[in-house]
Amino acid sequence: MALQCFAGTARPPSNAGNSPWRPTGRVKHAPGIRPCILRRLMKMYLPPPGAKPTRRGVLKKGLLGGALLALGGGTFLFTRKSVEVDLPADGLLVLTPREFAIVSALAWRLVPKRDGFPGVDAVQVARGCDRILTMVDATAVDETKQLLLLLENALPNFLLGGRLSTFTKLSTDAQDAVLREWQTSRITLRRTGYTALRGLVMAAYFASDKTWSAVGYPGPLPGIHDPNAPVWKGGGAERPIGNGTFREELLAPPAAVDGGTP
Amino acid sequence: MSQGRIITGDELKADVTVECDVCVVGSGSGGAWTALELVKQGKSVVMLEEGGYHTRREFDMTEPRAFQNLYQELGNRATDDLSLTILQGRSVGGGTTVNWCSTFRTPERILSIWKERHGIDTLSTAVLTPHWEHIEQRLHVAPWPLELINENNKVLWEGLGKLGYERGLIRRNVNNCLNLGYCGLGCPVDAKQSMLVTVLPDAVEQGLTLYSDCSARVLDWDGRTVRSVRADVLDGVTRKPTGVKVTVKPKVTVVSGGAINSPALLMRSELLSEGRVGQRTWFHPVLLMMAEYEHEVNAFRGAPQSVYSHHFVDRGPGKMGYFLEVPPVHPMLASIVATGSGPETIELMTKFKHLNVMLAIHVDGLLPEETGGTVRLRGGGYSRHSITYDFTDAHWEAFRHSCKEMAKLQFAAGAKMVRSLHVDPVTMSSVNELDKLDAAPFAPVQVKVATAHQMGGCRMGKDPSTSVVDPHLKYHGLDNLFVVDGSVLPTSLGVNPQETIFGIARWAAGHIGQAV
Repeated sequence: MALQCFAGTARPPSNAGNSPWRPTGRVKHAPGIRPCILRRLMKMYLPPPGAKPTRRGVLKKGLLGGALLALGGGTFLFTRKSVEVDLPADGLLVLTPREFAIVSALAWRLVPKRDGFPGVDAVQVARGCDRILTMVDATAVDETKQLLLLLENALPNFLLGGRLSTFTKLSTDAQDAVLREWQTSRITLRRTGYTALRGLVMAAYFASDKTWSAVGYPGPLPGIHDPNAPVWKGGGAERPIGNGTFREELLAPPAAVDGGTP
Repeated sequence: MSQGRIITGDELKADVTVECDVCVVGSGSGGAWTALELVKQGKSVVMLEEGGYHTRREFDMTEPRAFQNLYQELGNRATDDLSLTILQGRSVGGGTTVNWCSTFRTPERILSIWKERHGIDTLSTAVLTPHWEHIEQRLHVAPWPLELINENNKVLWEGLGKLGYERGLIRRNVNNCLNLGYCGLGCPVDAKQSMLVTVLPDAVEQGLTLYSDCSARVLDWDGRTVRSVRADVLDGVTRKPTGVKVTVKPKVTVVSGGAINSPALLMRSELLSEGRVGQRTWFHPVLLMMAEYEHEVNAFRGAPQSVYSHHFVDRGPGKMGYFLEVPPVHPMLASIVATGSGPETIELMTKFKHLNVMLAIHVDGLLPEETGGTVRLRGGGYSRHSITYDFTDAHWEAFRHSCKEMAKLQFAAGAKMVRSLHVDPVTMSSVNELDKLDAAPFAPVQVKVATAHQMGGCRMGKDPSTSVVDPHLKYHGLDNLFVVDGSVLPTSLGVNPQETIFGIARWAAGHIGQAV
């Protein structure tokens, strides 16, 4: 039982909350934490000994380095529960219920409640993330899943943030602190992970037309898009006028398009 | 010549094998012009395009639909560490379907560098000018009038004027443009003179057969000859292979998949040029600054790019130059690009209508120490490749410089707040706070860097030991394979690349036809 490693441990390093370790390759480990665990963590987060602490070393193996993440991403997870959330009525296509719960928790922190803005539940952000993932490369799905499990994993949260709980079970303040650590980490991999998850959630949220009024975005101008416009595929058919030159009679342009030279 | 046809993936239920004179892989700025000129010469041409055939019937001016249909990896293509976000088109028409219509001829300075450093004596202003003139006429290229520039461009125009910097109006390939602002989401009225509505239908009318939703996977070759091109038919929604195959048996093959997908196709075909394929990829790395104004900017509205400045394009020896433009700002992409915490992003989005965004587009590939980007195949990846980019000290120096200059311009135009796109954003309320940018970290994944221009990876050059294609764009070592797209450019350009690629493609089609 890997969790026994934590039994009776002292507090983690006092600076761990604000300032994750520098990737120097020589890391003082927290008192009471077994070196075996630390080595694994170092493999997850740190460049190999002697490597320059740049992305060349850390990230040579690819985005979030699949193999690196797999080392620690799932191990402890299944010994500690995630919060359970209601699943979408029409089911999940890519994410597991556990991953869905992590995305849900993440979405509430990345898009906190604010007057005028629809909640992430109203927009079904977590479901949207699931649907986005149906359209991406299998390697990106794998990495996103690993990243979610890594976020949820209690171990790095404990070692780097001093919190002995999974992400979904943390208080909202603690969740914000974890995200802040990822966002501003000295470790490129964590900033990369934050950027990836933030982008996924923002895409799923602001893809919804329910957000438009909150930001004052008018959306498509009415009367422009023609959902029945002809689609020409050749094969002897006559090429429609609108294909290549817009029909002027539909709408007059605002002004003549000619002007001075640059 | 009988009319050709556009065959979409959903029409393909069984494997197909076709023979032809020329197979063109990719329907963007390079492939389209090559195909048109070849069918005009009477050649039988088959084009394979991995993206879908999306037209104005589907261009409903919404971001989710556009990113799903019209962009590589839903707009999420990036380097492995996300230090550089890659906005790249993927549909019939390629990048031209979604670009912002900025049209520039290749700068004389760049053509000279290519000649001096890379032995490219085939391309010059004199050689390309007749092609550019033809292209500009066909695509209705004209400067956008000052009285029509939108508020977002006006910020740049006024800032440049106040600081006394060089400024100009961008020439755009539009016809009866309604000044809507949705160029990046597919023009809903076919006003943009993209390949989708001009050169490709022109070519189909003259005999081109275009297969959309067909991803070329491998070139089969032996000796010095490419024998066939094998492609997967992709599902229109999931973009995964349906199992149906298209095989083309051409006399000559032209690869025009762009600076990431062309090298990937060559690598899948074990055409590596001793490792040079996929190397020295140039991205015109873009830094962005956001500014808030008292008045509404509504940067989603109106022709997205109409003002530019080349004031800093040549910053002298050892320094990286950059040019300045603005992007269109729609909420989904803005929120993704914005950086910062969740609450910071939502706070920023409450000011959405008042935001100006400025771009500094850096001219990479000109300094001796640069190696640029590298594209590699990714195990298990289908459309996603391993991409890295080496930022040098010169990059970071230029990025800091350009961010400060953009902030100066934004304040000069009346900004009440200027914000960087650091992961932990730097906010400034007056020009006196620019030193905050001196203290800010400029390093990978510390500040947002993006690209909308992908170049290099199959660079042309005279010396087969340092280049991938020769100065006539023929692959070194094979007799019937050409590469015609942004990937052949040995450096970046210092201007938006579409017209350079148009011109090179139209020029190259002349001698490609002779190789049949």
